[in-house]
This record gives sequence, structure tokens and C-alpha cells, in this order.
Amino acid sequence: MGLLPALLVLALVTLGPALYLIITSLTPLTPVNPDTAFDFSDPLGNYQSILTTDEFWRSVWVQIELSAVTVVTQLAAGLGLALLLDRPSRFLEALRTGFLVPMVLPPIVVAIIWKILYTPDISPLHHLLAWLGLPIHSLITNPSTAIWAIAAADTWEWFPFTMLMLLAALQMVPKEPQEAARIDGANAVQLFWHVRLPYIRPTLVVCVLFRLIDSIKAFPLIYVLTDGGPGGATQVTNYYAFEQTFSFSYWGYGSAVATLMVAGVFVLSIMVNRLGGEAIDE
Amino acid sequence: MSTRRIHRRQVLASAAGGAGLLMLPGKAPAQGGAKKLAGVTLNVSCWSSSYPKFLADYIPEFEQATGAKVNYETPSFPIYNQRMDIELSTKSDAHDVVNVTFIFSGRWVGAGWVIPLTDYINDPKKTPADWDVNDFLPGSTSAFKDRQGRLCAIPWIADVHMAGASRYDLIQQAGMKLPDTFDELAAVLKAVNKKDDIPAFVVENHYGWTFIPFLQGFGGNVFRNPPTDLMPMLDSPEAVAAADFFCAMLRDYGPDGVLSYTYDQVLETLKQGRANYSSSNETFLVQMANPDSKVAKTCALSLTPGGPAGRFPNVAAHGWGIPVGSRNKDAAWDFITWAMSKELTQRMFNDHGYSSVTRRSMIQRPEFREKMRINGTDVAQLYLDTLDLGAKGYTVYRTVAPYPPVDHEIDVAIQRIISRQQSAKEAMAQAQQNALTQLKRAGVKL
Repeated sequence: MGLLPALLVLALVTLGPALYLIITSLTPLTPVNPDTAFDFSDPLGNYQSILTTDEFWRSVWVQIELSAVTVVTQLAAGLGLALLLDRPSRFLEALRTGFLVPMVLPPIVVAIIWKILYTPDISPLHHLLAWLGLPIHSLITNPSTAIWAIAAADTWEWFPFTMLMLLAALQMVPKEPQEAARIDGANAVQLFWHVRLPYIRPTLVVCVLFRLIDSIKAFPLIYVLTDGGPGGATQVTNYYAFEQTFSFSYWGYGSAVATLMVAGVFVLSIMVNRLGGEAIDE
Repeated sequence: MSTRRIHRRQVLASAAGGAGLLMLPGKAPAQGGAKKLAGVTLNVSCWSSSYPKFLADYIPEFEQATGAKVNYETPSFPIYNQRMDIELSTKSDAHDVVNVTFIFSGRWVGAGWVIPLTDYINDPKKTPADWDVNDFLPGSTSAFKDRQGRLCAIPWIADVHMAGASRYDLIQQAGMKLPDTFDELAAVLKAVNKKDDIPAFVVENHYGWTFIPFLQGFGGNVFRNPPTDLMPMLDSPEAVAAADFFCAMLRDYGPDGVLSYTYDQVLETLKQGRANYSSSNETFLVQMANPDSKVAKTCALSLTPGGPAGRFPNVAAHGWGIPVGSRNKDAAWDFITWAMSKELTQRMFNDHGYSSVTRRSMIQRPEFREKMRINGTDVAQLYLDTLDLGAKGYTVYRTVAPYPPVDHEIDVAIQRIISRQQSAKEAMAQAQQNALTQLKRAGVKL
């Protein structure tokens, strides 16, 4: 009973805004007409409109592509580097610190760095490739490569997170089973697959969960590098909601898109959490 | 204590500034009265551009003369518009003086979110007679009038579209001149593309702005008959032909990655001589003649080329207005009359070369005309001619409340055509469908 006031405040602070988002999604709210904030005459109108809008579904597909690519590449890069750096050495310790730099940069700075790299006439990357006789066209204005260009920048920014988490997990793996496996003749691959991987699997699941949720929040890179283009090729659902809400002032509609996103993230979290639970049980 | 030498020009500038400040209604400091706005804090906001940056240099003078404290902010264009749309719609008192953005003027003025200024303008106690509101060019004020014809913002810029070549010498070497028609444009771009390894054509990737002179030049329009009939016309044969022509020019003669070129990139590319020809805002194109430009001696400007249906250069204006929620409306008006006084306009031109002025008296001054003569071209006259064209009213499509989402659909369609995701016909048909959806969502009856 003594906890009730604290729980009420917590509920108000955490659930209040989310509840308001859901309520707003049931109205055609637009700031041009403030009365629309209380117009509940067609509460499912926004949702019906969303489900029949091609641009929304396209944004969902772009989101799935981006999330899949970035989560996989960040896990692979992070795990690979963590395995390489998991040795007692002062040099490697210094290198570890260097690898963390992209993660601590403000997202907008990361976006500017990659904007320069992707702008052909000023890009050292483009100039180098041209010098090597391998010229390439702009990656961010080609619909076939734009999403990959975003994914590369996102991976560069966030692989240190997975690297750091997995390195910590690797260092927690007990020495005895590893030594026993070596004595039994296990090579490096077998040692990793049969001994170290089972120990770090819960951490891998946590990394997937974090990076998956973060990938759905992708915004600064897309805003700076492609503005959702070319022709919507990099417009993820988050960006679609932003445009509808803040560029066109369809607040009710944007809230409905955001509500669907929250629901999607919630379901994803449950799924990944279950996977994590199973991994820990094993 | 630091000392510095005072130059004659600074003395003259300060004297002119002082004269401008004395125009402010009420007792001037020299008359022995208390400072008129002592204790007042004015919150002023405008999107970041040349003029707002220049203005920041003079605001301490306003504070010194009036006693007011000015909080001045200049976020980027999209951030400003998003933020202000929310502030104004909620009738917030967070700002006292705001920029009324052209593309939002129909919405902000139409909804009564900024107040009519006629009571201030017509009151001799609040506005000196020689401030002269009629001096502002009609092409720059028309977007800021409400249904009763009352002016709701004072324009600080008339943003007009012109055309320009950074390397006119290459065009001359090809035996040609700056194009006057779309046919000539196609011929010139073909002739000079890749000459000196320079791509021939570049425009800003805001196609809801840069494509429209082509759309209208081909006889198309965004809406059927704005502002009364807002049925989109993006899939008309004229619109498809215009999109096909415009995108082919950019795809064939634009620099690699042209789809990502923002206005500042276009400007720098032109100034560095890395692209030749552009259809862009006058305020950017004239900077090709700046001392820091590599093409100052070879650049040339002209009117925007016309198509089969005529010449339709973009004309937009942005102006200072007072939000309905402001608690310092009188002081806000003092700020606006100071910022848009003839004296300060003259000083900004003298000190910074600011040329997109909205006062006819300024444009007619011999020193303005002389300074605006770029490699033999009378740019001031081009500016006036463009504004005269704009006064015909074909830009009204931009000022209707639901234009922003349609603007976005045009952007997307042009991107899809240039990047070969869709043909012009397919992309414009999709833009039409999406625009209809957007307009219905906005509650527009079609």
C-alpha cells in the first residue's frame, strides 16, 4: 500500500504519454484545426487509411531490410573484433578504446562524416576508388545502393556496442572448460563453437534486442544522408511518421503510425526476450 | 582595455544607424526620455539564411537604443517551419516576431495565427510616414494579405528564380548565348556538357520548388485553379512532358549524385566552377560574382527560360509577422519597423551586399544598380522583371494551406524518374494518387 503513490507517479510518467499517443491516434488531429483533437467520430479512420496506403507498407519493407542488414552486420563485425581483441595485450587494450570512438560521437556528426564520404565530388573514398581505377557512382542517390549505404554508416557507428558487450561476455567465459577442450585437441573454431558460443549466447540475444530496437529508431543518418530518398527508397516507418506528423501536420495519422510502431517493437521485444530466456535456460 | 581605430566608413554607418533608430516612435535617448522598451524581452525567430545572419550584427544597436533585450534564433529552414507551425497553432506566447514562411503563408495568415499589421501601419504614432509601406514591391507582399486584404507580414526577401552560368565562356565558345527557351536550354546543355570536365546542369533537390517553372512552362500546374480549386494536376500530359524534360536534363547533364544536392551544395558547386548552368534563386546566383568565387569573371545571369506556355520563374517572399499569442505586440512592431527601415536595408546592402531587397526605392538607387551589374548584366532589372512576372499570380499554388504534402509528392516523383525507378508517366500518376490521398487527409473537398 505504501508503494501506491510511487507506482501511480511511475504509471503517469511512463504510461501517460503513451496513452495520449493512442488517444490522439483515434482522432484526425491537425494543428490547423484544434477542434479535431476531440473528434472521435471515426476512431479507426487513421488505421484504415494506414493499412491501405502503399507508402506505409513500402516504409515497413524498407525498415525490415535496414534492420535485418544492420543487426546482422553489427553482430558479425562486433563478434569478429571481440574475438580478435580478447587477448591480454596493452596494444589491444588501446585499440579497443579506439574502436569505441564511432559509438560516442553525436549521431549528427556521424551523419556528416558519411555525407562527405558519399558526396562524389568531395569524397576521399570516391577519389581513392577513382585513382585505383575503380570509380563508383553516388551510392546515396542510387535506389539500389542507398539502403546499403545507410546500413554501412549505421554499422560503423554501432558495431562498437556489440563488440564491447561480446568482449565482456568472452572475458567472463571460465578458463577450465576452454583448457580442457584444448587438451582434448579442439581447434580454434571448435573451441568457439562448442565452448565459448554457448556461454555468450545470452549476451548475443541482448545485443540483437538492443540493436533491433535501435534500428527501428534510425533517423539522423537517413535525415542527413538521403532524406528518405531517392524516391522513398530509404524511407523507414519512423521517417514516414515524422514526415506525416511534422512536415504535413497530420498529427492524428502520425500518432497512429507511431502506435503501430510501438506495438511492433513490443511484439519484437517479447519474441527476442523469449529467445534470450531459452538461451539462458540452455 | 582594447582600443581600435575608427574608420570613416564606420562613423558614417553608425550615423546612418542612429538616424534609423531615431525613426522609432517615442522619445529617442537623445531627447532625454527613458528608453522606450526598457525591461521588455523580445523573442525573435527566423530560419537561417543570409539576411537573418546579417541582421544579427545590428540587433545590439536596437537593444542599445530601445532598452529591449532581444533573444534571436535562426534554426534551419525545415526545423524552423516545423517548430513554428506548432508554436503558432497553439497560439503560444513564446515568440514576438516570427518569419512568415511563404509556403506556410496561406495557412498561418489564413488561420489568423499572425495578426494584421494595418492598424500599426496606419497609426502615425506607431509608424513614421516616411517608413512608407507602399515602397515594398507588390510581388513581395501579396502572399501576406488576409481575406480582407490586410497585410500580415512585412517582406524581408523577395526570393526570385533566375538562371545563371558559372562558365558562360564555355557557352560562348560553343557559339551560343544563355538560353531563353527550354529548346535553347536543351541545346546549350548538350553543347557544353563535360566541356572542361564540367557537368552542364545542376539544381537544388527541392523539386517542389525547382521543377515548377518547367511544369508551368509546359502548360501544366500543381492544382487546377488555386486557391479555389485544389484538384491536383500532376498526371496531366503537360506535367508528364515537363517531368520527362526536366529529369532528362538532370540525368544526362547533372553531376554524379545530383539528387542529393541541397541549395548550399549547388551554390558552392557553381562558385567552384564544378557545374556550369543552374536555374536557382537570385540570392544564390549573384554570389557567383563574389570575390571568393572562382567564376566571378566568367559567370552570367539571365531570366529563367520559358516554355511553350510562357515564362514562369519562381517568386516567393518571406516576411516578419507578429504571432497572435505575443504579449509584446507593440514592441514587436517597433522591431519590425526598425529591421525593415530604409536605412537598415541600405546598410545591409552596403555592408554585406544583401541584394534580395523588397523596397523599390532601394532597387532604384544608382549604387544598387551599379553593384548589381554582373559582367555586364543588369541583374537589378532582371530582378524587377521577374517580380513583375510573379505579380501575375501564378505562384498562388504555393500559398495554399495543403501545399506542403503535395510539394513532397513532387519531390518523390522527380527523384523516382531521375533514378530510373519509374517512367515520368508512372511517377507522376503515382504522385497524383498520393496527392489526392494527402489532400483528402487534410480535409480538402475536391
